[in-house]
Amino acid sequence: MTEKIGKKSKGPLGGFKAPVIPRPVVVGLSAVILGLIAGAILMGLTGNNPFEGYQYLFKGGLMSVERIGDTLATATPLILTGLSVAFAFRTGLFNIGASGQMLFGGFLATAVALSWTALPRPVLLLCILLAGIFGGALWGLVPGLLKALFNVHEVVCTIMMNWIAYWTIYYQIPKYFKGAFLETESAKIADAASLKAPWLTNLFDGSYVNYGLFLGIFAMIIVSIILNKTVLGFELKSAGFNRHASEYAGMKVNRNIVLSMCIAGGLAGLGGVTLYTGYAGNIQIGVLPSQGFDGIAVALLAANSPIGVFASALFFGMLHSGKGFMNAMTNVPPEIGDTIIATIIYFAATSVLIERVLDKIKSKRRGDK
Amino acid sequence: MQMEKIVEMSHIRKEFPGIVANDNISLYLKQGEVLALLGENGAGKSTLMSVLFGLYQPEQGTIRVKGKDVQINNPLQANDLGIGMVHQHFKLVHNFTIAENIVLGMEPTKGLSINIKYAADKISELSKHYGLNVDPWAKIEYVSVGMQQRVEILKMRYRDAEVVIFDEPTAVLTPQEIVDLGQIMKNLIKEGKSIILITHKLNEIKAMADRCTVIRRGRVIGTVNVQDTTLAEMAEMMVGREVNFSVDKEDHAAGDIVLKIRNLYVKDNRDSLSVKDFSLDVKAGEILGLAGVDGNGQTELVEAVTGLRKPESGKIFIHEEDLTESSIFHRIRSGIGHIPEDRQVRGLVLDYPLEYNLVLERYCDPPYAKNGFLQKEPIRKHAEKIIDIFDVRSGMGPTGAARSLSGGNQQKAIVGREIDLDPEILIAVQPTRGLDVGSIEYIHKRLVDHRNNGKAVLLVSLELDEIMDLSDRIAVISHGELVDIIPADQADENQIGLMMAGVKND
Amino acid sequence: MKKAITLLMVLVLALALPLSCKKKDNNAAGAEAMKVGMVTDAGTIDDKSFNQGTWEGILLAEQDMDIETKYLKPTGTTEADYMKEIGNLIDAGYTFIVTPGFKFETAIFAAQDKYPEAKFVLIDGTPHNADWSEFRAEANVVSIFFAEHESGFLAGVATALQLQEGALGFIGGMEIPPVQKFNWGFQQGVIYANANLGTMVTMDAENILYQGSFSDVAAGQQLAAQMFDKGVKAIFCAAGGVGVGAINEAKSRAASGEEVWIVGVDVNQYADGLYNDYSNSIILTSAMKRIDQAAYDMIKAELAGTYPGGETLTFNASNNGVGIPEENPNLSADVEAKVKEVFAAIQAGDIVVSAEQGDLIQ
Ligand SMILES: Nc1ncnc2c1ncn2[C@@H]1O[C@H](COP(=O)(O)OP(=O)(O)O)[C@@H](O)[C@H]1O
Ligand SMILES: [Mg+2]
Repeated sequence: MTEKIGKKSKGPLGGFKAPVIPRPVVVGLSAVILGLIAGAILMGLTGNNPFEGYQYLFKGGLMSVERIGDTLATATPLILTGLSVAFAFRTGLFNIGASGQMLFGGFLATAVALSWTALPRPVLLLCILLAGIFGGALWGLVPGLLKALFNVHEVVCTIMMNWIAYWTIYYQIPKYFKGAFLETESAKIADAASLKAPWLTNLFDGSYVNYGLFLGIFAMIIVSIILNKTVLGFELKSAGFNRHASEYAGMKVNRNIVLSMCIAGGLAGLGGVTLYTGYAGNIQIGVLPSQGFDGIAVALLAANSPIGVFASALFFGMLHSGKGFMNAMTNVPPEIGDTIIATIIYFAATSVLIERVLDKIKSKRRGDK
Repeated sequence: MQMEKIVEMSHIRKEFPGIVANDNISLYLKQGEVLALLGENGAGKSTLMSVLFGLYQPEQGTIRVKGKDVQINNPLQANDLGIGMVHQHFKLVHNFTIAENIVLGMEPTKGLSINIKYAADKISELSKHYGLNVDPWAKIEYVSVGMQQRVEILKMRYRDAEVVIFDEPTAVLTPQEIVDLGQIMKNLIKEGKSIILITHKLNEIKAMADRCTVIRRGRVIGTVNVQDTTLAEMAEMMVGREVNFSVDKEDHAAGDIVLKIRNLYVKDNRDSLSVKDFSLDVKAGEILGLAGVDGNGQTELVEAVTGLRKPESGKIFIHEEDLTESSIFHRIRSGIGHIPEDRQVRGLVLDYPLEYNLVLERYCDPPYAKNGFLQKEPIRKHAEKIIDIFDVRSGMGPTGAARSLSGGNQQKAIVGREIDLDPEILIAVQPTRGLDVGSIEYIHKRLVDHRNNGKAVLLVSLELDEIMDLSDRIAVISHGELVDIIPADQADENQIGLMMAGVKND
Repeated sequence: MKKAITLLMVLVLALALPLSCKKKDNNAAGAEAMKVGMVTDAGTIDDKSFNQGTWEGILLAEQDMDIETKYLKPTGTTEADYMKEIGNLIDAGYTFIVTPGFKFETAIFAAQDKYPEAKFVLIDGTPHNADWSEFRAEANVVSIFFAEHESGFLAGVATALQLQEGALGFIGGMEIPPVQKFNWGFQQGVIYANANLGTMVTMDAENILYQGSFSDVAAGQQLAAQMFDKGVKAIFCAAGGVGVGAINEAKSRAASGEEVWIVGVDVNQYADGLYNDYSNSIILTSAMKRIDQAAYDMIKAELAGTYPGGETLTFNASNNGVGIPEENPNLSADVEAKVKEVFAAIQAGDIVVSAEQGDLIQ
């Protein structure tokens, strides 16, 4: 764990004998377990056997190489949107706009993938990545600027940007990148212009896992380094924790807000690249990608740590891809699957409560001794 | 008046990561007395009282209230037992009215709606009774710190507390407010309340307390009768060595002008001019003290000089370099050091580890950064150096979060950081606020050293004693205007007091 | 804490083991029943539209025949999302799979090869590859299309007849062929009624709109409100969730005494339009596609051994695959009778409804 800095050492009882497992991990796992228990109760109430349900849920995500591949593939955009939200959080910003950033980044990436097909693959792929990052960053830049210059709250602004992306894509795709017949999606991206990797697909038995996974891992490492090791990360986090002190120390707080939003946007944009040019193979109009919002949950559960984001994205990816098999094998309705995920998110979001309980347990124990 | 023990704490032990904040502490409070709790910053006073107030659970020890063993799990239980606390850092909601703050958590209801009118009436009544002069409908954000403290006091009275804990109540008050507080405490005692007063200001103990329990590094050193003990004795018990109260300061010839302020106009947050046509020179090798009643433009003046606030007009120079339009980043590198007024708002990133806070202005300069990467080793070394030199006590050393330090140690960390910058001019605003005599002595010495090294110091303080002791020249500000500047050796307290009220010398 | 977790694990294992064995027994016992699965499109199972129609057909089949049923809801609407759910169904033994909507075209194209042992029914689409260069339906796929224009035509005639005069409107979801065909058919029906049945209803270009999504309820409500304010008496909504918004608007206006109507789509939406304590409905009639019928028929065919693998079927007036509901409480008996005549004329080929825009509006 590279996540010691500035986190969680503040609780009055922040662990007197250094705990073996870091606090955020305990909290995250507790949230997951509580969520699963709540889900079990829910299954029980709807007349299903929870143990059976969970057995198939996990099997569905993991029981074959192909399914593991699909779990990874589902998790890939979540890693990136999770990183986007977590990064913004760490720098004191709430990015609800990962969806729009994904969409617009994915849009530019798709545009490049469909237009510059003459380029050699490595060059083309690089252009696609850059286009996606640029698009997402642009979509983060606007709320960043508005916040820095006019103190417009980024939540309002990023939500607005979501819809601007939605409608931009809605009209631009049919106009310029329409598929042969369908009005509602772009033309299919040629395999050579996509992140699909035949060797990966074969390795995972025909699953949809693609190069995006490596992008996710790479981004996680980079974000982790930026946040924990660099001057830039120092400034960005500082602005997030205490804007006044950052100003006092001579940091350019406004520039940092803009930069943070751009980086967060760029990460989400990269998520869009993996979704549209990797997983989906084209871009559909009229859909705000849910991964943008799931990213918030991923970041919450991860307590905004990059490694945590990776783990929690994998977990959510597994839930999402195992859910269908659970539904197929049991009488648990698909909606319950979503509800279980929502419950876990809920517990992750209220991790403060869990921390309190943990504190209680700890002080009780000490009292016993 | 019967003298029974109303509160008794026995063998209390409280640990934090890496530190034993309270080690086998026992003390008692008698009905109707003022017990002072004396100790250096970080001695464990606040922690001990937080245990009594239910904020922390002790690892060991027992608490008896009115002769009964009690377990106090949270402040609500403490309230029920008749224990109230005025915290060192007030816990008020800024955009609520005073009345709302006072009833918060125990709202009187009429049906389902909160009956704030009833509460406000009761507050007015209490306020009159104690001569507090509190307007229940005023919003916290618009009242002075002294008023906020009165709100905290009322809050406890509103809850019928019998035992009142004051955690360093005078640290934030003006001299007049301190006198008022003394009166308020006397009234409380008259009504049969009992008071625990945390402080490290010996004069106050002499003036207000009956007995005094001294704590050093988490342990009780002893309990004395205030009347029978001298200030020097108490100071020695607290610090563990003899303390020198007066500042040793040799005469030192002032040099060139370092900071030059010319015709400065600055607006405050409410958009009214709070610094008007202000001009001032601070020279190398001198300490210039800026005296004034709180809220007379000192904050805005300092913010304008340090770059935190844009002046309306006027100029600011350091060594003849015009910095009026410069960024803060540039000003710091041009030699402005700044010990800010509010350590928790401006001075520290509380969630950052101490070592990061100690390079808050220099994280991007070598050796602390190389090619955009933070350099762990030099940062750690630097932190250890400042911790060592300035005796900053942090349970977990350089890696402990700044939040976990006691207020005084936070202040020492900031002072250490700024002095270590070796700035051409050090702007020190209330540099010893909330510190104990030992630390004050040390910081004063360092300020004087800085001056002796040929650098300039602009000392802004509300404590006249501090200004008188340290300054070579004293400037007085009133209503945002410079009243006058006089050499310190010709100044007397009454004269400066008059000037602070805006009366000019002739 | 640790103890609690261990305990929990033990419990899980203890309970899960015997259960998983029992499950296998169940499987063995019920192995004979055909297992029919469905993957939903975007939207919920009770979307008053494709998902619901298909699922109702499957449930109807379950009542009449010895089958097991199951629907799954994909996480997104990409081919990958659909393929995963198809895989889930097949891994769970549901080898007869119905998919509603053209969005499944590429998924079914891939699935027909990946799962040769399974059988697919693709409603409103035909399997093709991603860039539309190859169309191919193997023997394990049936494609089903509907004559939306005929359905729209009948609804247009019915609306014109019932209202006799006044302005009508149309709100579409996305501008895609099935929706367009509804629109064009409806307009032709109105024109037909004005020309041959003595009605005097109008449709202006400004009252024919595509909202752009199938989900924006609020936008639907707004659009409907604008149209009603302009004096439109009835709106034909082929717009999913957007239509729900329009229905809500109409309900609140009707409740306060205004005379406004909505013409439903895909399924009989009468029940959705109920207001005044469920005594009245603002759904005048609905332009239906008998999706349920299609799903039901295919299951039945499979059990009878006549599954028309590899074929493309069109459900239209002549095979009762489209039309307005049997019962329309808001239409007079007279109107219903006249619509029946028109229906018969379409079946007989006396009236030909065009599936093209021609010189119609939008
Ligand atoms: N919440 C906390 N977490 C960790 N350490 C703490 C915490 N609160 C206080 N401490 C440490 O305990 C010691 C005593 O602090 P405190 O009681 O605030 O001292 P003071 O006597 O100045 O009020 C200090 O070293 C401080 O750093
Ligand atoms: Mg304290």
